[in-house]
Amino acid sequence: MAEAQRFRKNPNVSWRTIEGQAVLIFNKEGEIQVLNEVGTYIWEHAEEDLEETIRAIVTTYSIPPEEARRDAEEFVQSLLASGALKAEEG
Amino acid sequence: MDSPLTELFDRAIRAHHPLFASLELTYACNLACQFCYNPVQRLNQHRSLPPGEAGSTPLSFEEIQDLFDQLRSMGVLYLTLTGGEPLVHPRFWDIAAAAKERSFAIRLFTNGTLIDAGAADRLADLAPYCVEFSIHGACAASAEALNQTPGSHQAQLRALELLKNRGLRVFIKCVVTKLVENELEDIHAIGERLGIPVYFDPVLTPSDDGQAYPLEMAASDETLQKLYRSKKLNVGNSPFQREPGQYNCSVGTGTLHVTPVGDVQPCVQWKQAIGNLREKTLREIWGGSDLLRKVREASLAAPVMLLEKVEDHAFCMHCPGLSQLRSGDPLRPDEQYIRLARIRREATQELGRYPPPTRDGEQG
Repeated sequence: MAEAQRFRKNPNVSWRTIEGQAVLIFNKEGEIQVLNEVGTYIWEHAEEDLEETIRAIVTTYSIPPEEARRDAEEFVQSLLASGALKAEEG
Repeated sequence: MDSPLTELFDRAIRAHHPLFASLELTYACNLACQFCYNPVQRLNQHRSLPPGEAGSTPLSFEEIQDLFDQLRSMGVLYLTLTGGEPLVHPRFWDIAAAAKERSFAIRLFTNGTLIDAGAADRLADLAPYCVEFSIHGACAASAEALNQTPGSHQAQLRALELLKNRGLRVFIKCVVTKLVENELEDIHAIGERLGIPVYFDPVLTPSDDGQAYPLEMAASDETLQKLYRSKKLNVGNSPFQREPGQYNCSVGTGTLHVTPVGDVQPCVQWKQAIGNLREKTLREIWGGSDLLRKVREASLAAPVMLLEKVEDHAFCMHCPGLSQLRSGDPLRPDEQYIRLARIRREATQELGRYPPPTRDGEQG
């Protein structure tokens, strides 16, 4: 993943964090996804610096940085693939 | 086994996390349906402008934006924009855009008559979760006899096509009245032709001021038997309906409703205000209303009441708000639901279908 890549939440995806879990509603497709705790954290901070997000996950969950990075980047890729996130131009 | 989403929603509602809100943008409507529960319509007042109630003024756009901020901070996910006819509100598109900016899943309730190609394009851009489209007859003769508005039926059919062609998720909702007793199949066919699911609602609602005149439009037992016996007609007021056996709606715990003048109600059907947005914050109202505590108690007590008092409880949809409106007692079974439960049981038995499961003593 490119350094300092920034993302935007898709405005056609409605969402809310409910009891600690983000619920994403893809309005055009009618699909609903429920994220787990870490996925919710990444989603809530998806428009911010991913490096900061990864550092926070490492601190919160006491896991190796490489593992946190790999998981976070894979998760962001899955959000991009589903259309929940859009990569910012430029 | 319940899905993770259902489990999550159940857990949230038990924690009194409101998930569903509805905003009645206006009492005004461009139609005049005979069964409408809105007394403003019956009195034929203010057909084209938001009237407000006596002594009150409708919420301003700024107040609605503030309401949306509060709903978002409280975790509301689904937001229904309703009326009256919401599209007659002069700031409808601004309000809808404000809802989208705050990431609500928007449900739009409309009669569709004001949706031309331009409005359909704007709705496609809005990308609501769904459009729930009320149409109450298969032809102009019956539909317009009910809504008393010449030309409306053709406008509705055109709007349905416009919405469908733009890929919007549309549901047709038809209240079953005596005027459409012989048209249920034809109304279903309208949806089938366009690829739009149709829901037939057998429940008529008394007027907001407690009068029973809408109930005079009730369809016959034979028509309702036919509806419940059908294998292809959907029965219910929307795709979000409860099933019999799910005795607890989430009134007081998972839903709230706001009127055009800022009164907050437990739901659209429970007409008592638990507070007003101009006097308290929504969070203060949600957490501190004595009436809301009573609503929650009634909702929790409803399953036991049904088991004790209603012979066909496994087929009965109890609405505490409707009972409150009709009798002043949210735990008094309503005659309309008792009748529907009997008809549903008879239809189910005729078909030899296994009765729907019950969950005795379930707590909300």
